[in-house]
Amino acid sequence: MPTITFVKPDGSKLSVTAPVGTTILEIAQEHGLNLEGACEGSMACSTCHVIVDDTYFTLLDCASEDEEDILDLASGLTATSRLGCQIVVSERLDGLILYVPAGHRNALLG
Amino acid sequence: MTTYSITGAATPLNFPIYLDNQSTTATDPQVLEQMLPFFIAKPGNPHSDGHEFGKEAMDAVEVARNQVANIIGADPREIIFTSGATESNNLALKGLADFYGSKRNQIITTQTEHKCVLETCKRLEASGYEILFLPVQKSGLLATETLDSAISDDTLVVSVMAAHNEIGVVQKLDEIGALCKKWGAFFHTDAAQAVGKIPLDVKAMNIDLMSISGHKIYGPKGIGALYIRRRPRVRIKPQIDGGGQERGMRSGTLSTPLCVGLGEACGLALEALQSEPARLLALRNRLCSGITSAIPDTLVHGDLQLRLPGNLNISFPGINSDQIMSATPDIAFSSGSACTSNSIEPSYVIESLGCTEQEARGAIRFGLGRFTTVDEIDYSIDRITNIVSSLRAE
Repeated sequence: MPTITFVKPDGSKLSVTAPVGTTILEIAQEHGLNLEGACEGSMACSTCHVIVDDTYFTLLDCASEDEEDILDLASGLTATSRLGCQIVVSERLDGLILYVPAGHRNALLG
Repeated sequence: MTTYSITGAATPLNFPIYLDNQSTTATDPQVLEQMLPFFIAKPGNPHSDGHEFGKEAMDAVEVARNQVANIIGADPREIIFTSGATESNNLALKGLADFYGSKRNQIITTQTEHKCVLETCKRLEASGYEILFLPVQKSGLLATETLDSAISDDTLVVSVMAAHNEIGVVQKLDEIGALCKKWGAFFHTDAAQAVGKIPLDVKAMNIDLMSISGHKIYGPKGIGALYIRRRPRVRIKPQIDGGGQERGMRSGTLSTPLCVGLGEACGLALEALQSEPARLLALRNRLCSGITSAIPDTLVHGDLQLRLPGNLNISFPGINSDQIMSATPDIAFSSGSACTSNSIEPSYVIESLGCTEQEARGAIRFGLGRFTTVDEIDYSIDRITNIVSSLRAE
């Protein structure tokens, strides 16, 4: 199983193994990380915003237009930001490093 | 000197004759007509759409957004309204630098850009970005090879004006766009002078960001727009914080009448693109040949082929622009650009073309527009050539 490393806002790291086919949001929640996923993966809230390490960003499939629209609303957006609910774990993502932002904005709340 | 009938002619001349349409244009009466209801009868805030007033304002703003998008081949969601091209240029370059800057540290532009691009670049340079101010050729055109040898994988953005405000030269946008795409750099163009004057297609030209102005295209002053590509998404860091209007990129309540005015101006300009360029070109050629045949040593600045049809920039060796201008209060034209004409410095643009300081001091710009008539051109030819001859005889 691929290994995914989350870097928390305080700099501490959590490396976990992730089954192929699950989403980053699911993995994060399973391991108690602070990704709310208020809209349960329907690309409406941006609370599962993660920042992908530069090295791995180009390995991901491109974001859809809907995902980009919600990312526009995310707090602390960067050039390598993605929604955790849209990243599906695959073998080629083994070693993936993700930064969890210090804060999230729930676009459902306006 | 020919005598002109001011009141008795079929199309009487109104003085002074306005030949400074690159500086600004009169608002087209059709544009003003569309704007007026939104000052008093329809006062709603377009961002406060919980009632009829807000809804009709929001609907009008979105119609305008469509009209702006249409004229450059964009999606309406790629258009954000600003106060004008100066703000758009600032927002584009500072916004890109603030968002992406740590990944790429170089910005490429030309020496002949508008002051607001040059000054923005200088500010970014002071904060650590490397700025390359590329020279242009004698024609005013940026040589593609010059850009090719400068651009690299450290280039964040290339910013080149679409059509020049002083010399009217139209850059090879498709070639610049192709190079930017090849290197993964963003392509920004200040199209304040180009929109509605020449056909523009942001997709075909691979343009990522484009600055647009209202008052250069017979719309009102105080409104402009920034086109910013959605796919692949281009992001900027907002430079004005506030209520998050314009999808977070430019906070502040939109002026419905100004947005409507810009939209209508774009709508009219798009229609006029069918016939107006040929009419203006004929007038410009008439002005150019009328002057140069009478004064053979006239210098014409900038390429005459790749050029806005309504622009002519010339100088007469030995004569300063202020001498001609003070002798012709009946014709409104300018030296340099409107933004630098209060300065006694010679045009940095004309100097960048390899001209002498004296030639740059002599440069005068004629900007022909939608309301320019052939009689006005003929009158101007006569006046200018006579003034030059008499100044030289002194």
